[in-house]
Amino acid sequence: MTGTIGLLRFMLRRERRSLPWWLLGVTLLMLVQSTQSQSLYDTADDLARLRETIGGNTAVVALSGPTRLLETIGGEVVFEIFGFLAIVVGLMNMFLVGRQTRADEEAGRAELIRSARVGRRAPLAAAIASAAVADVAAGALVAAVAIGTGLPAGGSVLLGAAVAATGLTFAALTAVAAQFFESTRAVYGSVGFALGAAYALRAAGDAGDGTLSWLSPIGWGQRTYPYVDDRWWPLLLPLAATALLVATAVVLLERRDFGAGLVAARPGRPAASRALGNAYGLAWRLQRSALIGWVAGLALLGAAYGSIGNSIEQYVADNPEIAEFLPGGAAGIVDAYLSLTVSLSALIASAYGVTSVLRVRAEELSGRAESVLATRTSRLTWLAGHLSVALAGTAVVLLAIGLGEGAAYAVTVSDPGQVPRVIGVALTYLPAVWLIVGVAVLAVGWLPRVAAALAWAAVGYCAVVQLFADSFGLPGWAQRASPFAHTPAVPTEAFTVTPIIVLGLVAIVGLAGGYSGLRRRDLGY
Amino acid sequence: MTTSDGTAISISALSKSYGRAKALDGLDLTVATGEVHGFLGPNGSGKTTTIRVLLGLLRADAGAVRLLGGDPWHDAVALHGRMAYVPGDVTLWPGITGGEVIDLLGRMRGGTDRRRRDELVERFDLDPRKKARTYSKGNRQKVALIAALASDAELLLLDEPTSGLDPLMESVFQQCIQDVRREGRTVLLSSHILGEVEALCDRVSIVRLGRTVESGTLRELRHLTRTSITVETTDPLTGIDALPGVYDTVLDGRIARFDVETAELDAVIRRLAPLGVRSLTSTPPTLEEMFLRHYGDAADDARVAS
Repeated sequence: MTGTIGLLRFMLRRERRSLPWWLLGVTLLMLVQSTQSQSLYDTADDLARLRETIGGNTAVVALSGPTRLLETIGGEVVFEIFGFLAIVVGLMNMFLVGRQTRADEEAGRAELIRSARVGRRAPLAAAIASAAVADVAAGALVAAVAIGTGLPAGGSVLLGAAVAATGLTFAALTAVAAQFFESTRAVYGSVGFALGAAYALRAAGDAGDGTLSWLSPIGWGQRTYPYVDDRWWPLLLPLAATALLVATAVVLLERRDFGAGLVAARPGRPAASRALGNAYGLAWRLQRSALIGWVAGLALLGAAYGSIGNSIEQYVADNPEIAEFLPGGAAGIVDAYLSLTVSLSALIASAYGVTSVLRVRAEELSGRAESVLATRTSRLTWLAGHLSVALAGTAVVLLAIGLGEGAAYAVTVSDPGQVPRVIGVALTYLPAVWLIVGVAVLAVGWLPRVAAALAWAAVGYCAVVQLFADSFGLPGWAQRASPFAHTPAVPTEAFTVTPIIVLGLVAIVGLAGGYSGLRRRDLGY
Repeated sequence: MTTSDGTAISISALSKSYGRAKALDGLDLTVATGEVHGFLGPNGSGKTTTIRVLLGLLRADAGAVRLLGGDPWHDAVALHGRMAYVPGDVTLWPGITGGEVIDLLGRMRGGTDRRRRDELVERFDLDPRKKARTYSKGNRQKVALIAALASDAELLLLDEPTSGLDPLMESVFQQCIQDVRREGRTVLLSSHILGEVEALCDRVSIVRLGRTVESGTLRELRHLTRTSITVETTDPLTGIDALPGVYDTVLDGRIARFDVETAELDAVIRRLAPLGVRSLTSTPPTLEEMFLRHYGDAADDARVAS
């Protein structure tokens, strides 16, 4: 253990750039949720109505937490935000401990440290200690924000402690994974999987009889029921798990060689498969995992939106005075809600399209494009390889949004017909998303050095128009500059084919124009 | 697009600027079919830029460039089927194994000889199952070399291909290039390792500040430079340092050490002979000395410029 204190100071110094951002994220999540919930459900009646509509909605319970939390307004805040806080804090701990242990060992930095007067266990101990410092800070911030926004102090402190204890459990789990696996990626992969499993277990438990939630660190935290029962004893579970996991990590550390894991890194293929033989195969291989991530993430987001579509309808049905203000009345609100949420998700899909196109630029700058273009691969084929991912990928992402939102909504209203209907709504945005892809390609072709900035500016502009056009009072022409403004807002509006075709044609012009720029310019700088 | 005139690469008065920075300033280079041509110069002298123009990645500002009888910019794809390239700083896709990269580049080039590929993997002692992110610089270099050498390319463009290899692999590389030469293929080898250039290259071009400063066979280049002489005579040596073409004379009684321009060698030896030569060593200039002379000039230029 010699040198632990010195190492801890060094690690905290290394984390001083990334840690504040994680803590800021935790603070903002709590701040937004606490103020929003308290203003939305400011009376006991509102809260009771919410209990009625949400309590019976399995999808919402699965996404959030146990309904017992809905007894008080503070509990409602915990109900909505605890799962997200746990995931953010869990990831923070995973990266923090992973970076300080396996990543350092893999990069060879740990060798330098271990060659000094530093004990074998010191780096691990210091990594856990630095995670504990970060967790206490995160917990304290959550508690402070809760108290600051007017929630009772006792429950707020318990909530902070629950967040910190959940985070620490994942720090200890990462420490074990870091002994187990030889590569940092495998460590992150396994802990990320465990985090997802913890969320899924509590989702299944909360939606069912609650048993499975007791197998999940996130479930343990939620079952302290802050502001409702204020019970501290469930926190013994994460603390015991942390102690057990740290002890396991130490035992494993003593039994392995430096740089090795208990599971050797899986060797890859000694020769390329049939699929990896040209620019298309390469582009799909390079972008595969990112695409899977975006598809899964946006399907989940769609499911989250879809699951509360029916509640919105009921909320408006219960509050006829609100329905009077809406153009379509209570019947129209669900369609307006679907249209709005799908268009916001489509905006995110266009962000995916931009990241995919910018891979072209990254390949060029890293010098890897040079190796490909020195073969018989033409610039057109090389670009087309990556664009096939961007174009098909955005379509798949939109499909996932429609499927997620449609399926979740279909379950809550028991109407399978909603699935194809919402998928259709999502795919309406495809030409607009492709147009943004076209803008990004144009920028990469003609103005490579500022391509990333230009492409993101295009996405940002569309987001501003979409979200704030009315509140900012943007003039009509400024709104019409966004392709999303031209997409028919189905199902509220009728579907018209002309704008779809025009958007598609403009997108094609962008793609072709981008290629003509790429064909003419120097490559690689 | 044949190379009927026996010239694989011909570049004349090639210029290329990046914004205001001049990378190439009237560079000339001729590489005959079937020769191994050394391409020497300090860092930043324009070697990599030249190779990128040959690959059609950069468009020349001025000058004429012919490659395997075609135009490297307009006929890039057709020409690339006949050549292979190893970049100076090999970057690979982190999540793809070395074996996969070799096959991928081979297929993109139009097919690889499977047997030769496996044999090269063996000779270079590469573990092809490792993900590229775990490879050292030397191993990344091996991946690119194997991919290039396993092809049937008529022309190999190698940009400092051995900068990360250990001496053992360096010798494997030299054997491979000797094989390539025997097969009558052409190699443009940019290098910093002068022993390698001396061992492999038929002809050499030295570039500095984007211009070719010398070009020819090693023997021709040696003619242009000085030979070091150490001589001991029976009679005292006088007036040697006054002879034309003699430099850096160190006189120690009857023993003298000096450098002489190769063109003046004959006159100097005639002057020495009557003095009764008891021993004489003559050292031809190494490539390193020739190279250092140009480095030295570059350093002088830098001093003048600053």
